[in-house]
Amino acid sequence: MDKLPWLGASVKRKEDDRLLRGSGRFLDDVEETLALHLAIGRCPYPHARIRRIDAARALELSGVETVLIGEQVVARTEPITVLRPFPGSAPTVFHGMAHGVARYEGEPVVAVAAVDRYVAEDALELIDVDYEPLPHVITVEDALRPGAPQLHATVPGNVVVESTVRAGEPDKRLADAAVTVDGTFRINRVSGAPIETRGVIARWAEDTSTLELWASTQTPHLLRAQLAHCLRMDETDVRVIAPDVGGAFGLKIGVYPEDIIAALLAIDTRRPVKWIEDRTEFFRGAAHAREAVHALTIGADRDGALLVLRDRYLIDLGAYHGPLGPPLLTSIMLAGPYRLHDAEIHRRVVLTNKVPMGAYRGYGQAESNYVREVLVDRLARRLGQDPADFRRRNLLRPDELPFKNVSGATYDSGDYARGLERALSRVGYETFRTRQKAWRQQGRHVGVGMSCYVEFTGYPSSAFLGRTGARFGAYESVTLRMDRAGRAALSTGVSTFGQGTETTFAQMAASLLGLDPVDVAIHRGDSQGTPYSVGGFASRTMIAGAGAIEKAAGQIRDKMLRIAGHILDVDPAALEATAGMIRRRDDPSVQVSIQRVSEAAFLGHPLPPGEDPGLEATAYFDPPSSAFGYGTVVAQVEVDARSGEFALQRYILVHDCGTQVNPMIVEGQVQGAVAQGIAAALFEELVYDRETGQLVNGTMVDYFMPTAADLPAFELDHLETPSPVTPFGIKGVGEGGTIAAAAAITNAVCDALAPFGVDLDRLPVTAESIWRALAGARAKG
Amino acid sequence: MSARVTVALRVNGRAYERVVESRRLLVDFLRHELQLHGTHVGCEQGVCGACTVLLDGEPVKSCLMLAPQAHGHSITTVEGLAGRGELHAVQQAFRDAHALQCGYCTPGFLLAAVALADHGVALEGAALREELAGNLCRCTGYQNIVEAIERYLRQAAGGRRDG
Repeated sequence: MDKLPWLGASVKRKEDDRLLRGSGRFLDDVEETLALHLAIGRCPYPHARIRRIDAARALELSGVETVLIGEQVVARTEPITVLRPFPGSAPTVFHGMAHGVARYEGEPVVAVAAVDRYVAEDALELIDVDYEPLPHVITVEDALRPGAPQLHATVPGNVVVESTVRAGEPDKRLADAAVTVDGTFRINRVSGAPIETRGVIARWAEDTSTLELWASTQTPHLLRAQLAHCLRMDETDVRVIAPDVGGAFGLKIGVYPEDIIAALLAIDTRRPVKWIEDRTEFFRGAAHAREAVHALTIGADRDGALLVLRDRYLIDLGAYHGPLGPPLLTSIMLAGPYRLHDAEIHRRVVLTNKVPMGAYRGYGQAESNYVREVLVDRLARRLGQDPADFRRRNLLRPDELPFKNVSGATYDSGDYARGLERALSRVGYETFRTRQKAWRQQGRHVGVGMSCYVEFTGYPSSAFLGRTGARFGAYESVTLRMDRAGRAALSTGVSTFGQGTETTFAQMAASLLGLDPVDVAIHRGDSQGTPYSVGGFASRTMIAGAGAIEKAAGQIRDKMLRIAGHILDVDPAALEATAGMIRRRDDPSVQVSIQRVSEAAFLGHPLPPGEDPGLEATAYFDPPSSAFGYGTVVAQVEVDARSGEFALQRYILVHDCGTQVNPMIVEGQVQGAVAQGIAAALFEELVYDRETGQLVNGTMVDYFMPTAADLPAFELDHLETPSPVTPFGIKGVGEGGTIAAAAAITNAVCDALAPFGVDLDRLPVTAESIWRALAGARAKG
Repeated sequence: MSARVTVALRVNGRAYERVVESRRLLVDFLRHELQLHGTHVGCEQGVCGACTVLLDGEPVKSCLMLAPQAHGHSITTVEGLAGRGELHAVQQAFRDAHALQCGYCTPGFLLAAVALADHGVALEGAALREELAGNLCRCTGYQNIVEAIERYLRQAAGGRRDG
């Protein structure tokens, strides 16, 4: 194959024109006639028995159509399925609405359908729910105590799963290690917090006896599968359509209780039912992420060779195992980019009376990077080594790849040290160390911190997922169809949520078909009319999608060449498709337009003998391997050693995501992920009150998503090592920017405050946490 | 329930009159009475700025106003920037700088930027970032938004000098 003309081009996005004009179509922009609007009553307690629900007064209110309670939902539906269970998990029975007992503040308890949302909310106020509050647990430590309140009869002791990954001889290495350090780290509970909240419109189509569900989702086909199962329907009788999605970040994967509630009410009322999540509900209903407690030990020999890692960690799952639930990648990527053969990783997934956990950009990888990289710095300090030197010594070299890490993941390619060196030179590391000494003498505390990561992108085959119990595959699929005018239509089940897939898929198809990307129309996100699809998550869409496009476009191109060969009376093998034409390679003057070839396929003549009409192909591609991106963040901070206040002065990320389909979009993805990484490291935390079990800061006023004024300008640099194991050498890129932020900033603060011997061990890093650490260090010192 | 009142106003140069409940939010009025869906709702808490419109040229959060409060006023929404014609300069700047991803927050940023230009404010860097703190974006990390608006404000200032 010749070099693909649009691969690596910063093509302006196809999505932009409609979005800039306000002509995008988001969920709440879909206005069905005669729609009913839902308001959902939610449990105000963290744990309560629902004794009685009296909706009589609500039903008398003008404009109220009907009320749905948990008893009906439980009788008529199956519990929500788990798409990717943590192997060995005990089931938590999670229905679309609580019946009997509600287990987190915000769990749906009753729903009202009315002529508009204002009336529906009026009606909620008229519903009396008699609750009996039950004892609750908010922290994983409390949940594990003997005698702790139990959330589910199926989960004794509140431990959904406990398991260990072991490689080599960790005990022996720990005994051998000249130096070991350990630390206990608390990772904050955060939210992906897209600006568009969740939403759903359910409609019973009387004419076809099917259920149509518009949903703001990353995974239309997976949502359809789960919803059909929950409703005891055939998948064929359910259609899911994702319109433009206003941000997702992992939070909009799979079915949610509200999807089931809206569907039941649409079936009952035979009217479209719309639910738009308000922001207060969002913080109490949409998946939370990240929260965990790690007790990590690492050890090295006297020269600073990393020998061993042992982690015992607790994941705070919340009240139920949702469609994705706890991340597996925490364990899989704990070893990071280092030469490490001996490890023991012990994990427990623990229930608390909080919103169920789900996926969030960097899912698991941000967590393990934070604990490992912060502890690596402590180990280097203990050894009296510069943290950069320690990493130089232990990073895997290109000639050591492919490398199977202690958890079984096989890193494919890259030059990890090159990323580190590039980032260090950007900050002027050697000069910085000299200046730092001078600043310290002036009483200024400036520090640099670094964090190295390697990133799991895509899944290594559907068979791999199957072995771990996943209820989805690793593949992606497209249908490509030429029209009479010589343009291509590409159908994909992947929805559009900011990632630029419409543009990058068009670039791939155009390159392979000899077209311009403007001549590739994208139809996306509708389960009807797109082949089975997994969806956009896990930094997998471009890898798997490119493989599917390559196969489908290859079939169409070959057929176009055969038809053109017939028209031109030339051997098809002598022809190529380029710039809208099929032409002889050795004599471009012998040519026919793709438009004319497409028309021949459409008319059915002229065609070569035995050739079927039409130019259409559907292809699936199942990637055989994951691809591993990598990078290094270097952060520079200045800290006020009296107050703990600090400024993030520089933020440098050097990363490698393999072949870049569209460098402009790659850069945008990385910038956005970096912002979210910094947000979770410095600003954001969902705080629950341990006594009352209430979410303390569940509004946008109190949950501090950063504004433009809160973030520095980022300094990005790209390396490009094509993966040897994926189509076109593509690696995923959506998540990487989130991974290394927390450790880099933590290490920078600790570096700045090195004279005080300050260690930080919780997120977010705030002036208060630094001040407390300083006070603690002074008390010790 | 609340009383129904008449709201007469101009939106994007066109006169509208509707009878609505007095508690109707301005953003719901624009979106669901007038079918102008380009103005988005992100929080209804006055924080995210996705619902930003211009009221007599001033940026306001339309989730924090009731529709009757806009009676007699003139409103500009994203639909009023370019209509179906060529992109407005601020829209073009956003496209060129890849300053949008999911596009949900974009209309609010566009109108905030137009208000800056109309007031002759030509900020850049940290000062511009402060000025934009009333609008949240979760996708871009702001860098490209800041670049796009810097570019647009420079262009707008140049246009005024030339004109």
